Amino acid sequence: MRRGLVSLPALAITLGAVCVASVVRWFDPSVATIATVGKSEPYQWDIPAPFPRPPVPVDNPMTAEKVELGQHLFYDARLSANRRLSCAACHTQSLGFADGRGRAIGSLGDVHPRGSMSLANVAYNPAYNWADPNTTALEAQVLVPLFGTEPVEMGNAPGGAEMLARLGADARYRALFAAAFPQDLAAISVANVARALASFQRTLISVRSPYDQYRYGRDRNAISNAAKRGEVIFFSGQRGGCFQCHGGWNFSGGIRHEQDTTTQAAFFNTGLYNVAGAASYPALNTGLHAITKHAEDVGRFRAPTLRNIAMTAPYMHDGSIETLEEVIDHYAAGGRTLTQGPNAGVGRNNPNKAPSVHGFTLTGTDRQDLVAFLEALTDTTFLTSPAFGSPWRRAR
Amino acid sequence: MVRLKASRFTLAATMPLAFVGAASVSAPVAAAQQAQNAAEPTVRVGGAVAQPLTLTAADLATMPRASVRTESNGIVTTYEGVWVAEVLKRAGAPLGDALRGAALSTYVVAMASDGYQVVFSLGELDPGVSGGQFLLADHADGQAMFGEAGAFRLVVPTDKRGARSVRMLSSLQVVTARK
Repeated sequence: MRRGLVSLPALAITLGAVCVASVVRWFDPSVATIATVGKSEPYQWDIPAPFPRPPVPVDNPMTAEKVELGQHLFYDARLSANRRLSCAACHTQSLGFADGRGRAIGSLGDVHPRGSMSLANVAYNPAYNWADPNTTALEAQVLVPLFGTEPVEMGNAPGGAEMLARLGADARYRALFAAAFPQDLAAISVANVARALASFQRTLISVRSPYDQYRYGRDRNAISNAAKRGEVIFFSGQRGGCFQCHGGWNFSGGIRHEQDTTTQAAFFNTGLYNVAGAASYPALNTGLHAITKHAEDVGRFRAPTLRNIAMTAPYMHDGSIETLEEVIDHYAAGGRTLTQGPNAGVGRNNPNKAPSVHGFTLTGTDRQDLVAFLEALTDTTFLTSPAFGSPWRRAR
Repeated sequence: MVRLKASRFTLAATMPLAFVGAASVSAPVAAAQQAQNAAEPTVRVGGAVAQPLTLTAADLATMPRASVRTESNGIVTTYEGVWVAEVLKRAGAPLGDALRGAALSTYVVAMASDGYQVVFSLGELDPGVSGGQFLLADHADGQAMFGEAGAFRLVVPTDKRGARSVRMLSSLQVVTARK
C-alpha cells in the first residue's frame, strides 16, 4: 500500500514543471495553463478478510494521491479561518478519531450541541452527522465543519476563497493537488478539498481489535473470559440485546459496502430524555426531528459504531454520560431518569423510545462483562498507525 | 440490515443406522453417555414426537450434512449442519407423506439458552411443502461454532431478516395446536 509522502523526485518535478500550471491558474488567471494528464496510482485497500470494502462514489474514485492530499488537509489547521482548528483537533487518532469532549468546540469557541463522532469505519456509514438522513456522502459532510455557521466550526466564509488561497500559497499543496487531480485545470478548489478529505477518511478502517482476532481471526484467547461473557449478553435479545441497534460487524445502525450502496441509516430514541414541553428532548438536540419536523422523530439519533468506544468517552450525542458503566445502566433501565434540572424527566417513558430499548436485568458480573466486551473492540493498530496519523509530523 | 441468502447446499446420501441409537435418551447406555458428557452442548428435540432426542455435535456429524451461505453486512459465512426437517423426521415428527390433515396444525418452537423463542409451522419446515431452508448449524466457516452463536444456531438463509436465525439454539419443541 502506498501511503508515504509524494516522493522527492516526483515533488521536484511537479513543482518545477507542468503540474504547477494547473494550480497556479487559480491564483493568476493570466498564467497560461497546460492541461496536466497524469496517471493516478490506484489505492490499495488494506482490509483483512472477511470484511467488505466500503462503497466509493463513482465521481470520486480512490487514488493514493488523493488520500495523501486528504491526509495533509485533515491535519492542517489552515483549513480553519483563524488557523486554530484542524479536522484532527476534533477527530484525534488516539481518541478513536473523536475528541474526548462531550460537546465539540469550534475554532471561535462555539460549543457544539453535540459531540464529535468517531471516524472509525466512517466510509461505511449510510448517513453522516448524528441525525441527518440527507447527508449520505462524505464529500458533502466535510462541508459542514468547513463552512457551518450554527455553530461555527472551522469558520470559513462561503466560497472558501481565503482558505483556498492559503493552500495555494504552499508549494507542497500545489504539488499535492496537482498530483491528486492531474486533469483538473483548477485543482485547488473546495470540491477537490472535499474529495480529498473524503478519500482520506475512507481509509480510516478499524477491524483489527482483539475481538476481531477472536471472532474472525480464530484466536480463541484473543479476549478475556469476561469479554466472552459480555459478547453473549451483547448479542442476546433476551439479555442486553445491544446488537439490535448496534448491529453487524461494525456495531452500528447499518452500513453500506461495496456490494450494498442502498442501505438506509437507522435512527433510535433511546429514552435519554423525556422533558416537559412540546418536544421531549432538549432544544437544539431533537435529533432526526430537526430535519424532518415529524413529532415521532424527536430524540431519534443514529446508532454510531461501538468500535473503539472505550476511547471516546463521554458518551451519547451530547456527552451527557461519562462512563460505559453508566451507559449500560441507562440501557438496562430502559431509559434514563433525571430527577432535577432543566432536563428532568423519566426517559424510559419517552413516547418515541425504540422498542429495542426494553431494559434488562444485570446480574452478577454482567456490567463488567459488557464493559470488557466493549473494551475488546479497541483497535490499537487503528489508534496508533502512522498510516492514519499526521503527515506533517512524519515529514519533519 | 441482516441479509441471509442461500446459495448452495449438500446432502449426504444416507444416515448411518447407528445414529438413532446414539441419539436416543431411552437406552441405558445412551443415558450413561449423556451423564458423562453433561457439560457438552446439546440440542433437545421434544414435545409431540415419538422419539425425543438429545443431540450433540458428534451426533449431528453422523447425519446427512448440508451447508448454506449467508451474507450479513458484506460478510459471507458458510454454515454447516443438518436440515431441521431431517432432525425432526428422526424424532418422529410427521413430515413428508405423513404431513397432512391434523398434522398440519403442528408447529415447532425453537428455543435458545437465553430464553429467545421463535415459532415455525411444521409445514414450512418440510422441504416437500415450502421452499424455505432451515439449517441446524454447528459449524461456521469450517469451525465449530462458539461464543455469541453458541454451539448450535438455527440458520434460515431464505429469510429476508436474521431474526429467526436463533443463536444459542438449545431445543426444538414440537407442539400440536389441534387437540
